Amino acid sequence: MSTRSDFRPMRLEATESLKSLIKTYYDDLFRTAAEGRPSVWLNVGVPCEFFYAMDVFPFYPENYGAACGAMKLTPKLSAIAEAHGFSADLCSYIRTTLGTVFSGEGPYGQLPRPTVQVSAMNSCVAIMVWWRAVERHWGVPTLVLDTPLVREDSTGINLDYVESEVRRMLSWVEEHTGRTMDEERLREVVRLSNEGKDLWAEVLDLRRARPCPVTAADIFTHMFPMVALRGTPQYVSHLRALRDEVKARVDEGFAAVPDERYRLLWDNLPPWFDLRIFGELAQMGVNFVIDTYTQAWGPRYMGPIDIDDPVRSFAGYMGAGFLNVQIGKRLELLTELVRDYEVDGVVFHSDRSCKPFSLVQVELRNMLLERAGVPGVLLEGDHNDPNLFDRERAMGRLESFLEVIDSGRA
Amino acid sequence: MSGGSNGSTGPPQGTPTAGSASVAGSPTPGSPATGSPETGVRALARFRAVAADPLAELAAVKERTGLMAVGYFDSYMPEEVIMAHGVLPYRVAVTGREDLRSGEFIQGFACPASRDLLDQALRGDLALLEGAVFTRYCDSLRGVFAVWDSEKLTPYVDFVRYPTVTKTESAVKYLAAELREVSARMAAALDAPADERRLLDAAAACNRKRALVAELAARRASRDLALSGADYLAVLVAATTMTPDDFTSELSALLAWPPPGEPGDALPVVLSGTTFDNVALAASIEGAGLYLIADDLASGSRWYCVNVETARLAAGEGSGMYADPWEALAHAYLTRPPCSVKEPSSPRADHLISQVRRSGAAGVLFYLTKFCDSEQAEWPYLRDRLGAEGIPAFVVEGEQKGAGSGGLQTRLEAFREQIEMSGDEL
Repeated sequence: MSTRSDFRPMRLEATESLKSLIKTYYDDLFRTAAEGRPSVWLNVGVPCEFFYAMDVFPFYPENYGAACGAMKLTPKLSAIAEAHGFSADLCSYIRTTLGTVFSGEGPYGQLPRPTVQVSAMNSCVAIMVWWRAVERHWGVPTLVLDTPLVREDSTGINLDYVESEVRRMLSWVEEHTGRTMDEERLREVVRLSNEGKDLWAEVLDLRRARPCPVTAADIFTHMFPMVALRGTPQYVSHLRALRDEVKARVDEGFAAVPDERYRLLWDNLPPWFDLRIFGELAQMGVNFVIDTYTQAWGPRYMGPIDIDDPVRSFAGYMGAGFLNVQIGKRLELLTELVRDYEVDGVVFHSDRSCKPFSLVQVELRNMLLERAGVPGVLLEGDHNDPNLFDRERAMGRLESFLEVIDSGRA
Repeated sequence: MSGGSNGSTGPPQGTPTAGSASVAGSPTPGSPATGSPETGVRALARFRAVAADPLAELAAVKERTGLMAVGYFDSYMPEEVIMAHGVLPYRVAVTGREDLRSGEFIQGFACPASRDLLDQALRGDLALLEGAVFTRYCDSLRGVFAVWDSEKLTPYVDFVRYPTVTKTESAVKYLAAELREVSARMAAALDAPADERRLLDAAAACNRKRALVAELAARRASRDLALSGADYLAVLVAATTMTPDDFTSELSALLAWPPPGEPGDALPVVLSGTTFDNVALAASIEGAGLYLIADDLASGSRWYCVNVETARLAAGEGSGMYADPWEALAHAYLTRPPCSVKEPSSPRADHLISQVRRSGAAGVLFYLTKFCDSEQAEWPYLRDRLGAEGIPAFVVEGEQKGAGSGGLQTRLEAFREQIEMSGDEL
């Protein structure tokens, strides 16, 4: 397999500006705690928009876990959680974050104890038990927002129930934080959120270009604002800058991967501790022009939210969130993506730490090959724990997969 | 040490076999006039046979009744809903057999109990089922559903959009409405409409069998009835395999004419975990000198306490919130002692401690099924809660396969010795 050893992916300027965005966010988190203002820990299935409108600072431990993963801190923090009796088989985000909670170790020292925690069931059971562990350790009031798993959409009695759960959550947060929902502010937050999501959708859409203007690693790093800053002015300005930069690249015919020979789709979270792998693959002419993970924050799963009825609108998206639907919807998405982005093959990252994402992949791979004629390969790994990722084996499998694609072309 | 405060009443030694002329039982006061000591022995033999081959029992029932059967997989699924359609419910028990078929469809980090269920279907063992209904019990079982559904492993496949939150009125209302919708789909798929009268009858029949299992458990815990933990598990498997009336008849016989057991010196412990169907593994655990005197299992004491308020409904006295039988059903299943996949889960610890207290167990054996996220995360909390009560607890992780390994025996013996040496007596 020929490679270009002199190749280095050109980073987006927007990626550079992320650093200050993240720093400001963490400064705000610690300032909030120092000033005694309320904060909340949320999982990514709970919209931060509500909390910005209530002036309750939202913090996403999954984001924090990913940051620790990128800094290769998971093995150390996981060992601390394991010493407290938590299994090494548990999700590596859980082990990472609990390691900090139990010890105060981590890139920012001890995280501030939140005022409350809310988790929704629209991703996995593990989220609930993760929050439960923090609740028990710190004594933080915690609420589980029920979003029963659905086949395809949240409608009828299911939507009514999820809406009632969202309203229950809002009342509960008001009761425990002393803050009330400002309806006018919520409208403004939702307006900004929708604006940002439109920009995000444009960025994803621009990836359809041949050659593709960005790499998967470029886009994965922008998940932070998509998760934690939705509905804020800085979120919109950041995404606008990102969109403009990506669009300029497309207009110039810029190729993020010169000699783009393989347009692949990445399914699942990336290995945060090894985003360099995408650069190495780029040397073989591989670009992951699209992925399923970032779609979870795209218009299909997150909006637009109805400004006039945000609670029910959010409930609909929460009830049918990316990981709260069944295999049929996943197949539908994959089929559309491989068609729209002219994908040559799909890499299914079989992520030990994300069962809902992963445990349908074998079936999806087979179905996609049958229905769309697009080959796929399973790559065993983990989103945060390098001990669960055999890099040499993974690269070997990927090289073999590229040969499969080549043979299909021949 | 002879094991716990009541260590003289360990597991029965040399448990009887069906037809053994040397075994005699004594009728329980107030027991049916008909019967003999052999009655209880035969009942136990029947339970053992059913647990050893539940599908053979299902086949026999189908042959006898001509009814269709629908499988389900966890104890949160109300079997009464299936019965309301005049269809046989069948909880697909974990076999513990080694098989690799599921590996072609789902990764190895799905929990082995879930993969076992899929293996059964892929082997063709479940061809007797006209349908299967899943709930979102856990993320592994959800993955199994995806494969089951797309591969159409049974002609009819359905999914209950089950709540996780169990303690709100809205969850009860929602689950009731959801069960109605599932029922409507089942009726259409199987051409077997539901009947509300039959739903009430089903709930009453299931109440009776669950109450009898509760009685069995209580009598074991009080040493009034000596039955090994392995045999108790066989009864639990039979409870969701046999028809309720048949099961109730057999268990009534067992309770009236309990097979005798000789007090042993095994250490009485409570078995805690999720669904646990492996009778051979339980026997192996008891072979290490432990007596599974009580349980905190999803398929055991957290299930048999479900009681649907049927008497009041049947008498037309239903009023207020649970006047509707579907709501009564939903309420009964949501308010049972919760599994770690439900919210809140902390009542589980209270339930576990009560199982220890009422049985005088010397400790808790927590069987952790590999890759079970919720149980893995719950264990440190349960350990600490038990520790605060002075109750020794020990965890073993396994795959619910076979009869256990030599390594398991060694660990269990260490657990027993640890308790005996510490002199912890409850």
